[in-house]
Amino acid sequence: MSQARRHLGSFDGILFLSALALQLIGLVVIYSSTVGTPSAGAFQRQAMWMALGMTGLLIVLVIDYHTLAEFSVVFYAGCCVLLLLTIVFGRVVNASKSWLGAGGVQFQPSELAKVATILMVAAYLGRDQVRGLGFVRFAAVSGIVGLPVLLIMQQPDLGTAATFMPLLVGASFLAGLRIRTIVILTLIVALALPLVWGHLKPYQKERVKIFLEPTRDPKGAGYQLIQSLIAVGSGGVTGKGFLSGTQGSLQFLPEQHTDFVLAVVAEERGFIGSALVLAFYFVVLTRCIATARGARDRLGAFIAMGVACVYGGQALINIGVVLGVLPTTGVPLPLLSYGGSCLVSTLLGLGLVLNVHMRRLVN
Amino acid sequence: MRPLRDPRDYQEERRLGARVTVIQVLFGAVLAVYLMTFWYLQVVRADYYRRLSDSNHLRRVTIAAERGLITDVEERPLVGNRIAFNIRLDREKTENLDALLPRLATVLNVSEATLRDRLARARGRPRFEPVVLKEDVDLKEVAWIEARRLELPMLSVEIESRREYPHGDLAAHVLGYVGEATEEQVKSDPEDLFDLGDIVGKAGLEREYETSLHGIKGWKEVVVNSHGREMQEVGEGRPPSPGHALRLTIDLDLQRTLEEAYGEELGSAVFLDAKTGAVLAMISRPAFDPNVFAHRFSQDVWQSLVRDPRHPLQDRVSLSKFAPGSVFKVVMTIAALEEGVAKPERLDHCTGSWRFGERVFQCWGIRKGGHGWVDMRQALIESCNVYFYRLGNEMGIEKIAKWAHLLGFGQATGIDLPHEESGTVPDPDWKAKAVPRDPIWHPGETISVAIGQGALEVTPLQMAVFAATVGSGGTVLKPHLVQAREAREGVEQGNDNDAVLRHLPLHPETIKVVKEAMWGVVNEAGGTGAKARIEAYDVCGKTGTAQVFKVSRDIDADKLPKDKRDHAWFVGFAPKDDPQIAFAVFVQNGGHGGTVSAPIAKAVLERFFAQREGLKGGLSVASAAPPR
Repeated sequence: MSQARRHLGSFDGILFLSALALQLIGLVVIYSSTVGTPSAGAFQRQAMWMALGMTGLLIVLVIDYHTLAEFSVVFYAGCCVLLLLTIVFGRVVNASKSWLGAGGVQFQPSELAKVATILMVAAYLGRDQVRGLGFVRFAAVSGIVGLPVLLIMQQPDLGTAATFMPLLVGASFLAGLRIRTIVILTLIVALALPLVWGHLKPYQKERVKIFLEPTRDPKGAGYQLIQSLIAVGSGGVTGKGFLSGTQGSLQFLPEQHTDFVLAVVAEERGFIGSALVLAFYFVVLTRCIATARGARDRLGAFIAMGVACVYGGQALINIGVVLGVLPTTGVPLPLLSYGGSCLVSTLLGLGLVLNVHMRRLVN
Repeated sequence: MRPLRDPRDYQEERRLGARVTVIQVLFGAVLAVYLMTFWYLQVVRADYYRRLSDSNHLRRVTIAAERGLITDVEERPLVGNRIAFNIRLDREKTENLDALLPRLATVLNVSEATLRDRLARARGRPRFEPVVLKEDVDLKEVAWIEARRLELPMLSVEIESRREYPHGDLAAHVLGYVGEATEEQVKSDPEDLFDLGDIVGKAGLEREYETSLHGIKGWKEVVVNSHGREMQEVGEGRPPSPGHALRLTIDLDLQRTLEEAYGEELGSAVFLDAKTGAVLAMISRPAFDPNVFAHRFSQDVWQSLVRDPRHPLQDRVSLSKFAPGSVFKVVMTIAALEEGVAKPERLDHCTGSWRFGERVFQCWGIRKGGHGWVDMRQALIESCNVYFYRLGNEMGIEKIAKWAHLLGFGQATGIDLPHEESGTVPDPDWKAKAVPRDPIWHPGETISVAIGQGALEVTPLQMAVFAATVGSGGTVLKPHLVQAREAREGVEQGNDNDAVLRHLPLHPETIKVVKEAMWGVVNEAGGTGAKARIEAYDVCGKTGTAQVFKVSRDIDADKLPKDKRDHAWFVGFAPKDDPQIAFAVFVQNGGHGGTVSAPIAKAVLERFFAQREGLKGGLSVASAAPPR
């Protein structure tokens, strides 16, 4: 009883409230950018997913993260099976098979796999006896991350696969990957890049080319990028106001409530709105990192940093796309974008971080 | 309190802390860069992107201006606009088109193929743009559709302004018709008044006064979405400014009388105010109904009008030219007297024909054995060919051509219609250019011209203007159709002084001889124009017969098939001493001018003088109220 009370006292209210604030901003923007368009039901569905995600967060919070880590292999294996099922039975949306249906509810196992993989990597690297990261252990971590990534690439969903990369890089770095190894790996990657380019699908190549030269095809693939910049820029300092963003609500901006939701925030709320969203992300990331710093053990630190790397990295990729500094990847903005799987996955991840923070003090 | 079991653990702990800091700084740095990028885009470049955003979603939509009305001289409408209803299909609201089409075909009474064709033509257009399924439906159909809004939500009724010609084919060639502007017209439009597909005048006055009738389009600014669908209106824009009204010189009553009197004949007739050149009535037959052109008419109607061998679109008043026949003898008389070639007392003997060189030229009264001895007046009344053969031979082609030109032939009259035929007055110069295979002028050709045949060609309008010139004693008028037109401010009256092209200093004696003779044609016993005689109004005229088929002496011209018969002219003015009205009546294949053309002229003249009497007598006739 007293333990529960102490845990409650250690609950990271700032992290929770910042995440909640981002979700609420997301709900408002989803409403504003879809009202009167074919995607008008998104607001209600997102609210429903939010409730589901919060429930998941609570469940994750209640069970000690050590217990969760013990079962991480089960979660991890379960997710890999789901990914396999997706490849076989998945529903095709936008030319990729990333959705699995259960009853009337559709979800993306790849999002769930993120949480399981974070837990799995943390469980592997968080064992107290592991010190430093030699080539063998690095290979093991790469394997843990690489398996779901390979499965997701079969769908193919390159964007989601890419969001696993910060986990590999971050966890390896934290575990003490030597600079020498990093240099060698970088060289290998640099040499492999032309080979990878050869294996990219034409649309993937086109995305990269358009990123390098956005005006190449302003009505086609470069269109998104240009419309996003127009949405952001035309917001000015104070924005066009609620329901008044013309880029979003008049459907000039594609994916206005999913991948480009931040462009709508920027258009309707201006620089003040964009800065506020960035500030909230900064707080969320800082709290995750602080949790890692103050964690009771390596396992807690690796869980918190894993979550920070995966979802923080995904946020930075998404914002980079909106601002035109990164090529279009099709990655949603965690907490803000419309999309149930991503929201639930992020909330589960944050549940893990809150779990670690709550149990940071040794009995 | 940390479990420190090993100093290496402590080391590792510190290293881990340092690595976490690296990641934290990295995140912070990227977020800072993003914040600066937002600042750059939203604060520094805000105006630039705001402009891009506006041009993205704001469209200027033009609003058509109502076309100006056209009225007769007493402001009775001749051309108006009416509201038309079109039935449209919203493809976005249509789920199962294949199931719906057969039903729509029955409901709209249009074949399914037609509906499919219309939908196919709209395939390239944005889906939210409704497709017009049926144009100009009646109110019953509109009510039917409106009553089934719930059942057939994909159908809607569009309201549109459509050009209307309430009198059908009345004066069709004067009024002209409208149609969609072609690329060529848009390019040649100096004031940039219209765009491709706008309704513009294509012929007649509709075309001639296009800039005045068209009006100035308005515009409004609308918000569109990325598919171009209009979402809402913003700002005031500019309201359209309607086209200006035209008041014509045409008198609806006279026009109606002329149309009735003309019956089913082919040809044309024009009646002018003899003092001003104002056109009082004008007809060309066969006519067409301009209503069928009023809007995106079907290709079939157009094709049938263009292919009709009788050429109903051709304006036979100013665009068709014919041999003037004996009417030209009036020109001959004036020329001979003015040039001093002959005196009115000149006598000649007609035996029914005249041999000139190799050729024998016939006189029309051949079966009576010729006209015998005739003076100039008698030769004109009896239309003796032999008299004028010899007169023409004496005078020579140059003098004939000179006077034909002075009297207005061989040149456009200047009427306010888009096109006008100038006709042909042949002379040696003309022939050298026009007939390269036989460039030499033969004296025999002069003799043909002398009785209004040969290469000589005139328009009925030139004939009417010529009649007015004779009636006024030498004033050549410019005919016109518009009495007044609304200008940007107030009304711009047509100036009658502009209507006088030139005065010919004709000798009073010349006029007297010609007028006496033309009076005689109508009023003397045996005159060829006797059917135009009106008691107390001294109608003067000259009949003419333009040969279509060479008649030999043993064929009765009246028994020839209709299309081989001669064209019949009757040209004149009235009253003799102070002419009020001048006219030319032309009936294609009408046979003798006096038989068919004179009665038509008489009917209109009677109506004209009845109206004048009504005014003079102070009778208040509603339609005769002085124009405002």
